[in-house]
Amino acid sequence: MRDGSNGWKAGDDLLKLSAVSSGYGAVTIVKDISLTIKRGEIFAVMGKNGMGKTTLLKTILGFIELKAGDVTLEGASLRGVAPAKLIASGVAYAPQDQPLFQDLSIRDNIRLALRSDREFKNASERAFSYFPFLRDRLGQKAGTLSGGEQKMLTLARSLMHQPKMLLVDEVSEGLQPSVVDRIAAALKNERDANGVTILMVEQNLDFALRVADRWAILKLGAIDDQGGMESNTRERVLEHLKI
Amino acid sequence: MTLLLDIATTAAVLFIVASGLLAIFGVLKIINFAHGAWLTVGAYCSVLIAHWGLNPWLSLPFAFLVGAALGALTERLIVKPLYRRPLDAILATWGLGIVIGQLITLWFGRDVQMTPNLMSGTVGFLGVDYSAYRLFAVVAALAVGIGFTFLLDGTRLGLSARAVIMNESLARALGIDTGNVRLLTFVIGTGLAGLAGALLTPLTSVDPNMGVAWLIGAFMLVMVAGSSFGALAVACLLFGGAQVLVSTFLNPVLGGVTIAVLCALVLRLNPKGFARG
Amino acid sequence: MVNPTRTSRPFNSVALPALAAGALVVVAIGPIVLDRFAVNVLTRSMIYAVLAITVDILWGYAGILTFGQAAFFGIGAYATAIVATHVGDSPAMMALGFVLAVATPMLLGLLVGWLSFYHNSTPLYASVISLVFPIVVTQLVFSGGVWTGSSSGLVGYTTLPLELGGFFRLAGFCLIVIAVAAWIFVKSDAGKLLIAIRDNETRCSYLGLNTSRFKILLTACLAGVAGLAGFLYAHASGVVAPENTGFVFGTELVVWTALGGRGTILGPILGAIGIDYLSANLSGELPFLYQLIVGALFVVMIIVVPGGLAAVVTKIAGIGTNPTAIASVTVKGVASRPSAGWVEARDALIKIENLGKSYGSHHVLEGIDLSVRAGELVSLVGPNGAGKTTLMRCVSDGTLEATGVRQVCGRSIVRLTPSDIVALGVGRKFQVASVFDSLTVADCLRMARMAIDPPSVFAASRTLALPLSSERIVKLTGLDQLLDSSVSLLSHGQKQSLELAMVVALEPRLILLDEPTAGLTKPERTMIGGILKSLTEELGVAAILVEHDLDFVREISSRIVVLHQGKLVLDGSVEEVVNSALVKSVYSGGGHA
Repeated sequence: MRDGSNGWKAGDDLLKLSAVSSGYGAVTIVKDISLTIKRGEIFAVMGKNGMGKTTLLKTILGFIELKAGDVTLEGASLRGVAPAKLIASGVAYAPQDQPLFQDLSIRDNIRLALRSDREFKNASERAFSYFPFLRDRLGQKAGTLSGGEQKMLTLARSLMHQPKMLLVDEVSEGLQPSVVDRIAAALKNERDANGVTILMVEQNLDFALRVADRWAILKLGAIDDQGGMESNTRERVLEHLKI
Repeated sequence: MTLLLDIATTAAVLFIVASGLLAIFGVLKIINFAHGAWLTVGAYCSVLIAHWGLNPWLSLPFAFLVGAALGALTERLIVKPLYRRPLDAILATWGLGIVIGQLITLWFGRDVQMTPNLMSGTVGFLGVDYSAYRLFAVVAALAVGIGFTFLLDGTRLGLSARAVIMNESLARALGIDTGNVRLLTFVIGTGLAGLAGALLTPLTSVDPNMGVAWLIGAFMLVMVAGSSFGALAVACLLFGGAQVLVSTFLNPVLGGVTIAVLCALVLRLNPKGFARG
Repeated sequence: MVNPTRTSRPFNSVALPALAAGALVVVAIGPIVLDRFAVNVLTRSMIYAVLAITVDILWGYAGILTFGQAAFFGIGAYATAIVATHVGDSPAMMALGFVLAVATPMLLGLLVGWLSFYHNSTPLYASVISLVFPIVVTQLVFSGGVWTGSSSGLVGYTTLPLELGGFFRLAGFCLIVIAVAAWIFVKSDAGKLLIAIRDNETRCSYLGLNTSRFKILLTACLAGVAGLAGFLYAHASGVVAPENTGFVFGTELVVWTALGGRGTILGPILGAIGIDYLSANLSGELPFLYQLIVGALFVVMIIVVPGGLAAVVTKIAGIGTNPTAIASVTVKGVASRPSAGWVEARDALIKIENLGKSYGSHHVLEGIDLSVRAGELVSLVGPNGAGKTTLMRCVSDGTLEATGVRQVCGRSIVRLTPSDIVALGVGRKFQVASVFDSLTVADCLRMARMAIDPPSVFAASRTLALPLSSERIVKLTGLDQLLDSSVSLLSHGQKQSLELAMVVALEPRLILLDEPTAGLTKPERTMIGGILKSLTEELGVAAILVEHDLDFVREISSRIVVLHQGKLVLDGSVEEVVNSALVKSVYSGGGHA
């Protein structure tokens, strides 16, 4: 169990990116990024569309091959580690594009993230604790849920394993303020109560600054600015994001 | 009445023969052109069982296992490097079919082999005497169909396979080992092809090239059916029925190409075939 | 890999005639030095080699995997034998047999081509048809009764009055002529189109090229060549049988081509002759083992060396497969073609009213109204999933189902294919640079002019005529120094520039650009921006630009349109949009519009 008994403590380096570059084919999208995420923190990567935020997450997960640099998790290099293996080892991912199987039921969407159906009861209870409406609609097709409900299901599914690390891609996109509040609460509680480390990619500045401990701005695939939470943070970040 | 039974039993045989190919094409989008060779292998499993003096019914599980085992080897060695080159995969599996056919010829000779009937004679059915085995084929087709439906809808493997069909990158993002799903799917498909070959033995002569004759019909039906077993059943009934009608009323030789021609036309008019969406 | 520093050799002008002359000598003395058996078998092998060339042009060059050449061959052979058996064997009838042997397959080739190739047809479907066709032909032969001799075929008809050696020389001569013709064709400007289609058919149709028609014609012509081979075979062997038409023979042709080396002319010839001759010699002793070895070799080859023996040989010998055998290409600027009603700034070049597009129950676009006039540079912005790329697709491909009005230059584009719409004056640049990786820079640009300047079937041009605007891009981006380089060696930015130059070479009135600067460096972006500005301001071209980089958008646009969740939420000047509170909420708050 990841409860601290095997010797870790909050504040250790959990995920470390050293001079990472990656992209598709000849195109380099993520350029020379170095970043350290500490255990138990919430880190927000912000930036406008097309600046390489999603590519960065996919590179960490191993979906996109590294062109240069290295990614380590708990000190071990992730180079050559299959995404399935990494995810099974306790790194959860809530993707932005098509995060759900639209034609499958909520139950099946949850089952697909489990290794065995025996886990279903415990894991789904965990998943439902933040979003109880899911419990009564297990048989409903995911495609018939509203946009906000789909986001909540996606997040619930990624949390149900009690991961050591969670990567979320634009979880607040297109949501009503009330739903954004619930998601913010869920993420904070996961960190506070269970020590889950969270790396989030966001365009929604207000949401990101409400949840995060530290942040970085991505511009054209490279880190343009980064920092912690200070009094002028909002203005500083807004300067980068405004049209 | 006999005509209706002919249609039903022909459709059933086609369904059994095509299901293994469909399982592989539906999930992997790879056309296993060695499918004919697997049918042949399955049929020769019956020959072996008979040779060893065992109960002929044993040939069914035996053929499935042999087909599956060979399928596992094939997926790892030949198909895996070619998932991104589907046209080359057709060629490589066709080449494999040649190899398997020649190996069988080297081992058993080119002659037609005899196998004992699993079930002989006729039974009275709705007022006509009809071949018992052909009726059994309908039962077998239903069993394969129901088995598959259960496999796809009722098991984790089926769920994973459906997930891979629908959205492979999402399946991987959830930590599903899609490589294993592919391997298992291929193995089940080839196992079924072996089983189909064993089931064919009482209906057709067994020789090293028997599979090729069945390959094209099965291939065309699968093209029309896409990735749905329901659509495959409909296609088998429709086109198998047309084949029976053409053979009965026009010309048996033309009956042999009915399926291929009709399927090609259906695909020209609607490239998605019978598959919805 | 192609070596960028290697100088091109004029291989065409020296080696080809020498090779052909050498082959002619070998063919002439062959019957004198070889025994009867070898002469007999090699005659057949050389006829098969002609078929292998046709398979190779279709599959190796144009990317169409076909099993159908056997059927065209069989039809040619049967046409010859049927005329000789049932009609007559006078010289005039022989000539009739020849005409039918070539014309029948060509007509059927048109039919097969029409079935196989249409807008959005898949390569798999064409292969399926090529598989069904020989099966149907074989069955027809079986049910042809006395006309076709059914399963025993036709035998004993009068053949051309040639000895064994004469047929050998005839077959060899035909093979050499066809091989040389094929060689010249694939190296010509028109032949490059084959490779372009194989590489990137979508790009071809967005260059205004009707690829379906080209492929249908190609199928028909090569069916005629296969029919000619059938004529030769019917006379040389004196017997035709159903197996000659079957798909199994069709697959053998593919095997020979693959082993010899697809995408070369010599490889498949040697593959066909080598394997057929060896199998005739070895099949007596090791019949099954031999096929086993060929089959296994084929599987290994497909997986490990898709290029076949030719690729192995060139690799070992260190010869690069030179995509162009041209010494060097020079660019020549030409005046733009005159265009009726070229700039009528008052009329909308493109007009969209109430456009809607949905996938199932998911609405990607809803109620879009937009019109763009000559000289405008309209930027389309909005978050991911807003429907920007879908909108671009809807106006460049009329076959895409959508509701509402879509007009280009006053004409509705509904149901028009991309190549039709290019002819109306719309050029589209894709998000990921869509060029032809196996061609050179010059050939890519030539493809863009092909719909305007019909290509030569014989010659490979040494000059490249481009409109001045396109020539300017080529010079500005330094591509003029790289005209002979393979596109696969270009950087990402160079490919983006090349694609832009190709699209501009179409002389469009309206250019659609989907993120033309994605992944480019700052100087590259500035340069592209400058080019776009001069195109619109100086030449009166209209442009619609999808772009994420809002700084870039602000610099170059004359108007900005904001899409959000499939709806057009704002359409105004740069100032209006930049200062709009709505846009800020769309981008930073992520709330509902």
